[in-house]
Amino acid sequence: MRAGWMVLLFLTVGGQARAQDHRLTDRLDPATAAAVQRVVDSAAHEGLPTEPLIQKALEGGTLGAPGDRIVYAVGALHGQLGRARAALGGRASEADLTAAAGALRAGLPPDALQRLQSLRGDRPLVVPIAVLTDLVADGVPPDEATRSVLDLAREGRADEAFMALREGRGAPSGPEPGGRPPLRPAADPPVDR
Amino acid sequence: MSVEPNDEIRDPVLQRAIAELQRPVTLDAEVERRALDRIRAGAGSGRRFQRLAWLGAALAAGIAFLLVGHPPAPKNPPMVSGTRPVLIRLAAPASRVVVVGDFNDWDPSATPLRRAGDGATWTVELHLKPGRYHYTFLIDGRRWASDPDGPRAVESDFGAPVSVLTVS
Repeated sequence: MRAGWMVLLFLTVGGQARAQDHRLTDRLDPATAAAVQRVVDSAAHEGLPTEPLIQKALEGGTLGAPGDRIVYAVGALHGQLGRARAALGGRASEADLTAAAGALRAGLPPDALQRLQSLRGDRPLVVPIAVLTDLVADGVPPDEATRSVLDLAREGRADEAFMALREGRGAPSGPEPGGRPPLRPAADPPVDR
Repeated sequence: MSVEPNDEIRDPVLQRAIAELQRPVTLDAEVERRALDRIRAGAGSGRRFQRLAWLGAALAAGIAFLLVGHPPAPKNPPMVSGTRPVLIRLAAPASRVVVVGDFNDWDPSATPLRRAGDGATWTVELHLKPGRYHYTFLIDGRRWASDPDGPRAVESDFGAPVSVLTVS
């Protein structure tokens, strides 16, 4: 009987160990890895994407953040992904949800995302949402940025038109595929590790 | 050619029969010509078989070369279905630059940049699926720097500057 309990305990513990993402255990201290894993498991249980949460934790680990700060950031992202899913629905892709979580964090209202989604139909939302987020992050008032992006979506424009809108606003274009933007000197002094 | 009688067989009839069977046969010239033609034809089919064998061996060697001794992998990773090439660049005086981000598990050993011909620009080509990525540069193993060509992330949680990249 005792042996049976031991086997059950072994299988339970073993099962939990297998469920742990090795990237977390390899790169974070045990307590932080366990706390992040609980958030990841919760997200998986809710049907939310888990990879963005793991990447957030790895980002914190690589940048040398303390464990409690990593756990806080992962938990905050978990909440944003949940709000993004509430706005876009359960059929939204992981890429769309991740972009939408960033938009909500930038201060955009969920209904802006919903209106964008209704105008885009089945087309991916990543680029319009990213442009919207970048415009707001660059100082464009959210109402104005939303109106500009929704106008393009209403016209059925392609992703390139949204990119052009961002560049037209003076926002940095970034290393877009095929694009080779002019090099500029670093805008901010590098931060010591 | 002499035929030696078989000492174990005493029957004279059998001895004559054996001697007759052991006697060399002289073929008619026409029969001999036909026989030689057949033999030459057989040798020809053997050469064809030999050529086929060589061809098969060469084919097998070629397949083995492709499977085992394939040429060295290109410097850049191969395109993965559904991905797009993205050129990451940074102009910085440095002896080593790496990029870390959502695309490489934030692993500082995963994606070093290569110094361009001008000596001051560092580049690397990534192959990414559509999505939104966060990334930053690590210069000389001790300094973090965002991408001056890319938008800054609003969600920079850990103090270091982080850029965002959108792949459509």
